[in-house]
Amino acid sequence: MTAIPNNTSPARLAGAAILALLAALALFGPLLVPGDPFGQSLVKSLGGPDAAAPLGYDHLGRSLFHRLAHALRLSPAIALGAVATAGAAGLILGTWAAAQGGWVDRILATLADALLALPGLLLVLIVLAIMPGTAFGFWAGLSLVLWVEFFRLTRATSRAVLASPAVEAAQLLGFGWPYIFRTHLWPEIAPVMLTAAAFGTATAIMAIAALGFVSVGMRAPTPELGLMMVELLPYWREAPSALLTPVIATFALLMGLTLLAGSRET
Amino acid sequence: MSLLQLNEISVHDGATQLIAPVSLTLEPGVPLIILGETGSGKSLLAQAVMGTLPQGLTARGRITLGKDALDPAQPARFRALWGRRIAVLPQEPWLSLDPLMRAAPQIAETHHLVRGLTRSDAAAQAQKDLAALDLAAVGQRYPHELSGGMAQRVAIAAARAGGARIVIADEPTKGLDAARRDDVARLLLDALGRDGGLAVITHDLALAQMIGGQIIIMREGKVVEAGQTSAVFAAPTATYTRDLIAADPAHWPARSTLSMPVPGLAPAAPVVAAKGLSLSRGGQRLIEDLDIAVHPGRVLGITGPSGCGKSSLGDVLLGLLAPDAGAVTRAPGLPRTALQKLYQDPVAAFPPRRALGMTLADVAALHGARAQDIPAQMERLRLDPALLNRLPGAVSGGELQRLALLRVMLARPAFIFADEPTSRLDPITQREVITLLRKVATEDGVAVVLVSHDMALIDKTADRVVRLGLGGQEQAPVLQDAFAG
Repeated sequence: MTAIPNNTSPARLAGAAILALLAALALFGPLLVPGDPFGQSLVKSLGGPDAAAPLGYDHLGRSLFHRLAHALRLSPAIALGAVATAGAAGLILGTWAAAQGGWVDRILATLADALLALPGLLLVLIVLAIMPGTAFGFWAGLSLVLWVEFFRLTRATSRAVLASPAVEAAQLLGFGWPYIFRTHLWPEIAPVMLTAAAFGTATAIMAIAALGFVSVGMRAPTPELGLMMVELLPYWREAPSALLTPVIATFALLMGLTLLAGSRET
Repeated sequence: MSLLQLNEISVHDGATQLIAPVSLTLEPGVPLIILGETGSGKSLLAQAVMGTLPQGLTARGRITLGKDALDPAQPARFRALWGRRIAVLPQEPWLSLDPLMRAAPQIAETHHLVRGLTRSDAAAQAQKDLAALDLAAVGQRYPHELSGGMAQRVAIAAARAGGARIVIADEPTKGLDAARRDDVARLLLDALGRDGGLAVITHDLALAQMIGGQIIIMREGKVVEAGQTSAVFAAPTATYTRDLIAADPAHWPARSTLSMPVPGLAPAAPVVAAKGLSLSRGGQRLIEDLDIAVHPGRVLGITGPSGCGKSSLGDVLLGLLAPDAGAVTRAPGLPRTALQKLYQDPVAAFPPRRALGMTLADVAALHGARAQDIPAQMERLRLDPALLNRLPGAVSGGELQRLALLRVMLARPAFIFADEPTSRLDPITQREVITLLRKVATEDGVAVVLVSHDMALIDKTADRVVRLGLGGQEQAPVLQDAFAG
């Protein structure tokens, strides 16, 4: 299979490098410097970096390094889970709509358009209110928002491919749907799916951070990027570097994903 | 005085020479034809003259345009000449008109902006141009309200409105049927042949003969023959020219010598037959009450102008499209995969990112063909085994069409519908593909329906011919039976 685009532009490589660095920090950082993201020590409130906390302490004297490492596990994990679910749903429904046409296509397209008309954050909030468990709610809500993009891309690409003489020839030759999907559809869809997945992950991380920032997302004391920002915001004068820590981490994460996505044309 | 003179023009890609030095002269009233197959460099030569070569290619030599000498190595200076001294008539000119603008203003715009006439003068001049081309009545129509021929005339008028005396027509008959091709040739001659300079780039021998004048024949970046068109066609000297002229369907040997009919096969039951077939597309009745039958080992030719329903008829026979009325019967016990199709554009008929060998191996595996079947068929169709490692886009049109035939043969078909399989190939390759198709049909007893807009090709190839008319005009098809004999 030549599904993965062999597009190794410098921008894409830079994006991948940034993401690898962040992933290493999140996964291996706490192993190198053991510590507890929840352990408070008010004596060290807003204190500078030391050996146990390489990035200093927040207002409750918790190690920012360990809170950041945990935050960098939480949001991307939820986002990747939501993108995987949404991608699979979008791929299946999009191919089905394109192949079936008629009523199936019309109903699915109308549903997608209706969801697209709702603000994504509002939809996530509604699901959060219904679903038990914040992380699960985020996953469900974000999946519901993100599948539309994958569906639309898959449907548009599949329609063109399925109408081509190549697919007609394959059908005349007696090939079944699995073969047509594997050799005709997937190689065309895969590159756009990869780009859409990177953008979708960025959108999801931003949504989690935004809702955390307005205090309707993850609950304290969970370390989460948006929540960390809003918690540290009152102390921006005393400890600007503490506030900047989650801001820079979020920025780097989104930057890495956007660079990885590349331009939409590729 | 000559309008345009090329002195030792060559085109290079870095150190590689793509076109060997060419010298030629364009005289007023004497059209010039540049004839060659795809990849012969005829378009590159035109681009060198226009200063529109793709990035990275450079031209050398000297161009004399009227009194001015130009250096083709500095294409930026050519811009000022576009429209004023040299104009290009693009391929498929009806697509180059602005669909949201009426016909007359499109011509007036050029008069106004390129020649610098005032708006009212430009409008008056445009009206005069239209009148000269018998289009005075349609100046206020939009392009979609014009017929193809009218749109083409408007495009010619717009291309010439800048005052250019030299017009380069790039493949002006691409994708046209014979009748339309003759119209275009007449139109080009009427508009430009008398006093203007006309250069026509084409691979169409019939068009070249109609235009006349001078001809140069190019192959692989070299001029293989040059001279007066009528003289070259009457007595070609270069081997390639002889092959090219012999490959024109009009010069093919008659069908009976191409393939002897097998006496025993004639009474066999038809593989696919249609009775009382009616078909419409877009609300227009294309085919009315047609009876046809295709027998094993026979070629049924279908010909007619574009848009007459040839391809749709094939889809009905293949079972891909339901007819409005009538019934299609297939020989009993025929598996679904015994009905196969060859496409006009073979590149579009293969998965673009899969090596050809893999695609063929998939087909062979699906139909239980043996491993040695592919090499055997490749030899039969005179194909190089190295092609199997390439992608569809990296193989020439003629080779790919033969590979498409090979793929179809792996499915052991009883019926092949070949939809204009050679219309994008040059004459020599076309003859090769058609001969192989004919051979396969005869040897393996496959029933073939061959569609082409080229009547000569059909007449020389098919055992039986169905001529379709354009919707509503000649609804009853003329059946010519070639079985007698």
